[in-house]
Amino acid sequence: MTPLLWKDYQKEVPDNHYFFVRSCIRQTFFPGAEAALLDILRNSLGLDVFEDRRHTTCTGIAYHCDLVPLETIMTVIARQLSLMTEAGYRHLLVSCVTSFGIYLEMLDMWQHHPEMLEQTREALWKSTRRSFELPVALVHTSDLVYHLRKPIADRSPHRLVDKSTQRALRVVDHVGCHYAKIFPAGGFGGAEFPSVLSGLAETFGGEMVDYPERRHCCGFGFRHYLLQENRGYSLSNSRIKFESMEAFAPDLILTNCPGCNMFLDRWQYTLAEMSGKTYDREGKGIPVLSHEELAALMLGRDPWTLGLQMHQVQLEPLLDKIGIVYQARQKYSMLAGAASLPGEPSVLKVSFQ
Amino acid sequence: MASLLSQLKDDIRFSEGLSACMNCGICTAVCPAAAYFDYDPRRICQLVQTGDEQDLENLLKGEEIWMCGQCLSCKARCPRGNVPGYLIQALRKLSQQSGHFIHSREGRKQIRLKRRIGHSILETGYCVHPQMVEPETHPEQGPVWVWALEQGADLYRRCGSNYYGEGEGGLRKMAPGVLDELEAIFEETGGLRFWEAIERGAEELKLNTEP
Amino acid sequence: MNASEYLPKDEVAIIGGGPAGMQTALALSERGFSVRIYEQKEQLGGHLKGWHHLFPHGVAASDLLGQLKEQVLARAVPLHLGQSVDRLQKVGAGWVLWQGERPLGRAGVVVLANGFALFDARRKEEYGYGLYPSVLTAADLEAVFRKEQPWPFGSDRMAPQVGFVHCVGSRDLKCGSPHCSKLCCVTAVKQAMAVKSLFPEAQVYCFYMDLRMHGLEYEELYRKAQVDYGVRFIRGRLSEAAPGQGKRLHVKAEDTLQGRPLHLQLDMLVLMSGMVPAFLLEQQERAVFLKEPVFGSGFVPVQGLLAAGSVVQQEGLFASGACKGPATLPEVFADAAAVAREVEQYLKSLKAVAHA
Repeated sequence: MTPLLWKDYQKEVPDNHYFFVRSCIRQTFFPGAEAALLDILRNSLGLDVFEDRRHTTCTGIAYHCDLVPLETIMTVIARQLSLMTEAGYRHLLVSCVTSFGIYLEMLDMWQHHPEMLEQTREALWKSTRRSFELPVALVHTSDLVYHLRKPIADRSPHRLVDKSTQRALRVVDHVGCHYAKIFPAGGFGGAEFPSVLSGLAETFGGEMVDYPERRHCCGFGFRHYLLQENRGYSLSNSRIKFESMEAFAPDLILTNCPGCNMFLDRWQYTLAEMSGKTYDREGKGIPVLSHEELAALMLGRDPWTLGLQMHQVQLEPLLDKIGIVYQARQKYSMLAGAASLPGEPSVLKVSFQ
Repeated sequence: MASLLSQLKDDIRFSEGLSACMNCGICTAVCPAAAYFDYDPRRICQLVQTGDEQDLENLLKGEEIWMCGQCLSCKARCPRGNVPGYLIQALRKLSQQSGHFIHSREGRKQIRLKRRIGHSILETGYCVHPQMVEPETHPEQGPVWVWALEQGADLYRRCGSNYYGEGEGGLRKMAPGVLDELEAIFEETGGLRFWEAIERGAEELKLNTEP
Repeated sequence: MNASEYLPKDEVAIIGGGPAGMQTALALSERGFSVRIYEQKEQLGGHLKGWHHLFPHGVAASDLLGQLKEQVLARAVPLHLGQSVDRLQKVGAGWVLWQGERPLGRAGVVVLANGFALFDARRKEEYGYGLYPSVLTAADLEAVFRKEQPWPFGSDRMAPQVGFVHCVGSRDLKCGSPHCSKLCCVTAVKQAMAVKSLFPEAQVYCFYMDLRMHGLEYEELYRKAQVDYGVRFIRGRLSEAAPGQGKRLHVKAEDTLQGRPLHLQLDMLVLMSGMVPAFLLEQQERAVFLKEPVFGSGFVPVQGLLAAGSVVQQEGLFASGACKGPATLPEVFADAAAVAREVEQYLKSLKAVAHA
């Protein structure tokens, strides 16, 4: 038999016309990432991406904290789809990986249990007088960036290469668990070797590094992070990943999930405070970027409009290697003028030049 | 009163989550919670599949079901197509619905989570938003987060966010009527009744602890 | 045409020249029938060609194969090597064998003896076969034993850490293989002992779910592996293999009997790729196609308990050996005799009809 290998699996992604839904966590911690994505899609690539201001959280975080019944989240999802239907779109573009998993799961359940789809239609109609069509394509923003990687790379002045030595930068990826572990067919490359980030990094000239705990969860754990006393779960799982990638001296951690992007950034700071240890050689931490942040940087977008000053592990060492010229003084200044500087961690090295 | 097992079987996530387990341990091997807590998803599958009512009640009253981090890494690997993570969802729902959740330390935390994350949905339209992430309770967010919150709208708007403003875009204030629709959905689909069950548990706890 | 008009000179065509095909050919030839073997490869032997030694007694595979071939030669069974039958066409009561558009021959009876395939271990992606050089299949390890392939770890490693993974591509709905391949357990035990013999300082682990030691002296072999060889048996299915320190592999499993997750660094991981169908039998009214298997295809279906090898729905078509499902060599040989008897009865009944 000619084997079907999931790692070679290519998901079908439409070229245009998307209805966009945001991520609670990305809006909170990386507001510039979603703005940059929309800017790239609409202005650099000329795509039609529509957003309806009436869309809300998918309630996925609460669902995975077991605070929202299945019927409720199904109907909230149905409401989002009704906005999509009303606007005349059939391709859903999802910013959040938790949401992405939720949409996949609801579509899957509706497919296996058509009676639940009918119940959902009825519940949505009763509560909001809305109706909806199912999407023809369900696309995570990292799918779309991967799908468009060549046109993006063609327009990019930069590459993931150390400009002074021409060494390809070493990239480790961390694909969000709910991207393809729940439904392998939902993502490029399936559950075990998703290519959605590695393919992107390689297109930009980076060198992918396979590391032992590549597929280990970042440790969000939903309730475990949200409850302060349980947060050790989250920290210790991220630590497993850092310990595992350290030996490979990565220049960059690349993510597609907003939660993972935040945890892999913040826990490096926390671990440094707790144990004095950082996972790079210079004590500055390993820079973390999401797919949109990477694409925006490659395309020459301003790092501070992109919001990279909101990362705790500073990006400057990476920007310097790539040869991205930035205005250091602009980093912490606001529209109103110069602002105060963030405090300095006691271990993780930062620079405010 | 229907047996716990039959109530569990009414949850579609039970049938999607567990058909027959061969106890191979592939789920536990990859489970981040098993690496951190004294927790074993395989054991839970085995316990549920034996179907003993008392065991099930103990499970719903105990700490174990609250250990799962819902990463669903187990789904990718199970050679029988089971999903221990879905089974956990069904067990946690039943634990809260039946009131058993107040018997465990981890279960009782649902009250706090409901009042925080749950209420945020109906009050703001977001599960999480910046002002919920107070630096005092989130020291891990580091000095950069303290700074970001201090800058607030100035910083967020520079990055293209609407930051609690009226109109379009990221972190926008929800338009009139949107939250009413969300609440109507929660009302219609049992979301609010489920929260009442959690609050009933909280009431019961209060009665039990009062002298 | 009817049966009385069509009695081909070569009464039985056997498709497949491995142990099942050779043994069935011998059994029929000894009963006085004329038999031919169609083998797609240029040599007889099937999977046996690649094996080093055989459980449970460690007989050299080449010795057994040599004996079988000698007997086939001694009985002058005509061999059609390099001929791959992909279609059988019913003509009268007999069959025409085709390879593409080329007719290969005719026969009154066809016996499918084209065996099994080994599960393509690349499909179990979490084990990294094809990506990490230290991950081998059981068949690869036989090639190492035969010195046709090097050990995946350096010669400085006198005490390698070695893991054997049972049930790779069997008992696994995700791979479309719900069945037990049944001889991987004993193969793993045999290979684990062989590794310990070559590297007495090695630490060898077998990751199993159920040890199915069903055959004569298999259970004894298992005990011997524990007592005399110190092989460690861990009840738990391996969850993943990833690159570890240096050239080693980092593997995860649960020791289910202890109820705790287990992480190990290994120098070599051997995947017991199970037996899966080598072809998909597509049956039409007057034709049978031997096609590429698809996800979830089964072995050749035979009729009930009393018939050893009569293929469901097809008169004059029989199946012998492991094309019907995982089987050990002794089972294949016993089956060949049973199938031969059934073929004999069928041919006699045809002749009875013709003479009536």
